[in-house]
Amino acid sequence: MHLDPAVPGGCNAAVPPLSERKWVFMMRVAARILPAMADLDDTGRARFVAIVSKALSERPPAIQRQFGLFLGVFRWTPLVRFGVPFDRLSPISQDAVLRWFLDAPVSKLRSGFWGLRALVFMGYYGQPEVWPTLRYTPSFKGNEMLHG
Amino acid sequence: MDERSYDVVVVGSGAGGGTVAKELAPLCRDGMRVAVLEWGPKLREDEYTGREAEMAEKLYFDNGGFLTRDGTMTLAFGRAYGGSTVVYTGTSLALPEEVLARWGVPGLEHADLRRRSEKYLGENNVHLLEDDKINDNNRLFLEACRTLCYRVEQFPVNVKGCRGSGLCNLGCPNAAKQGTHRVQLPAAEAAGVEVVTNCKVERIGDRECVATVANPPFGEPSRWPEGRYRIRARAIVVAAGAVNSPALLLRSGLPVRLPALGRYFTAHPALILVGEHDRPITNFHGHPKSYYCDHFVESAKFLLETCMYFPFTTAKNLIGFGSEHAKMMGRMDRMQMILVLAVDPALPENRVRVNTEGEPVVHYRFTDEVLDALVESQRVAARIFFAAGCRRVHAPGGRSFSIGADQVDRLDELITRDAFKLGKVSISSAHLMGGCRMGTDRATSVTDAWGQVHGVPWLFVADASLFPMCSEINPYVTIMALADRVAERVRDRLPELSVA
Repeated sequence: MHLDPAVPGGCNAAVPPLSERKWVFMMRVAARILPAMADLDDTGRARFVAIVSKALSERPPAIQRQFGLFLGVFRWTPLVRFGVPFDRLSPISQDAVLRWFLDAPVSKLRSGFWGLRALVFMGYYGQPEVWPTLRYTPSFKGNEMLHG
Repeated sequence: MDERSYDVVVVGSGAGGGTVAKELAPLCRDGMRVAVLEWGPKLREDEYTGREAEMAEKLYFDNGGFLTRDGTMTLAFGRAYGGSTVVYTGTSLALPEEVLARWGVPGLEHADLRRRSEKYLGENNVHLLEDDKINDNNRLFLEACRTLCYRVEQFPVNVKGCRGSGLCNLGCPNAAKQGTHRVQLPAAEAAGVEVVTNCKVERIGDRECVATVANPPFGEPSRWPEGRYRIRARAIVVAAGAVNSPALLLRSGLPVRLPALGRYFTAHPALILVGEHDRPITNFHGHPKSYYCDHFVESAKFLLETCMYFPFTTAKNLIGFGSEHAKMMGRMDRMQMILVLAVDPALPENRVRVNTEGEPVVHYRFTDEVLDALVESQRVAARIFFAAGCRRVHAPGGRSFSIGADQVDRLDELITRDAFKLGKVSISSAHLMGGCRMGTDRATSVTDAWGQVHGVPWLFVADASLFPMCSEINPYVTIMALADRVAERVRDRLPELSVA
């Protein structure tokens, strides 16, 4: 896998089950959903890709196909209103598209966006290395931390 | 295909299968052979790392996010030596008498179920945690409920030597939780029961199972070599959980017509709600689930429990994205959490089916009553958060990302049904019930009151799929009590049963 330094959070290789083009797009969307993606270094981005690709690969083939299809729908739907695909929109317009999908009138579109969002959060928050930035510091001996 | 022969085969090793295994273990002293076939692995102690993504992969089906067919709810159920008892919080309640009365199963009496439940409450070291082990997240819930005059109770839990890792749902790293992997299965193995892990039962035929053993790259290797097996038995007990038990029976092509098989699935659909304090509180240290509020079960069909989840699960449950989402996530040490669970009706159309590959597909439709309960439960939870001192609350059915403490008088207009859209909110379930419900009518039930499948004297079910309706409480003690009955019936019937 190669990481594209020109693209914030970029990945320029096909890592199953997504094609290279879909990964590049996915990383761009991820950076909009989760601004802290931009703070990840190469290792963090590689971990993100590894977590997401593993989670997707373990899903049934039908779900993988649906997700790939949704990414396409998500990319091209803005063409109707803005005349360009998602990745060529300004950040403000991209956020408007995200908000539209979050509350979309069709349940399937909301579910698709929910799945995309969940994968992004899994890839980022699933990394124990980011937990201290959330002030989340679990301990096997948690009871010892309860009373100062 | 390798062939094996036993007197009894149990499919699954969770609350149901583990209990049946231990109760049948004395048969081994008489020379009988009992095997438990468990799909999941037995983890080594050093593999309980508390890392969310890693443990979800090792201990849950679909990483704990098994989606219903329309994608509106995720189901969490375990796959391990010990089943879901490895990944629950250990809350241990016996089925209330009024719920059993609603179940209305002839031959299933409260006194009998109560006696069996108490046996497992004792066996699993169930007790109330001491006050000094209650963290702020739980204490604040208790105090707020009392302030609001809501009925609130402490959960008895089945722990021994709990050190408060707070990681119960990822498998206790301190071996404190007394699930079947710590109590019943080791006892059964010591008495001669064979527990075969990494063994997926594909189908059941006439007094036989076809199964495949395949070791994942973690956990202890199975006691059987990798490969396919035909396992004959005089009696087969299916205890693979409310999704996989109906699915296994559906793809097995049983010699009887069971129109209720897979139907009447219930789930206690749940939401995770988050309140934020203006200072750090103790929340992820200490046991995560100490109190529950059942004040609204009769009147509004929901209950509330304390909870504390991990970063990914928390992030997924907060609606939205971008900086406001990230800002709340960046203050996990200030979060108070409440889990709300709806009491859902048992409907024939809510069902487990199998697809062309034989894999389970869960069809679940939310009724208006369940959606109303989930919306109202958010308003009640918000009142509890604010009474506990939170400065803002995030509700999935909120019209904005968060609701401030100064808006507490406007909760009815700020948390609404129209803002609560399926597919947008994260609804999850960890209490999966029904699909092989008990009863006497073959048109509406799958087994009798002792778990025997109608018309198949050698086939039994012993898990939450037996529940004819939801339990309205955390179900595992009830599963054990029912499994205890099933084991008794298997013992009694075994002399009449022969191999195929």
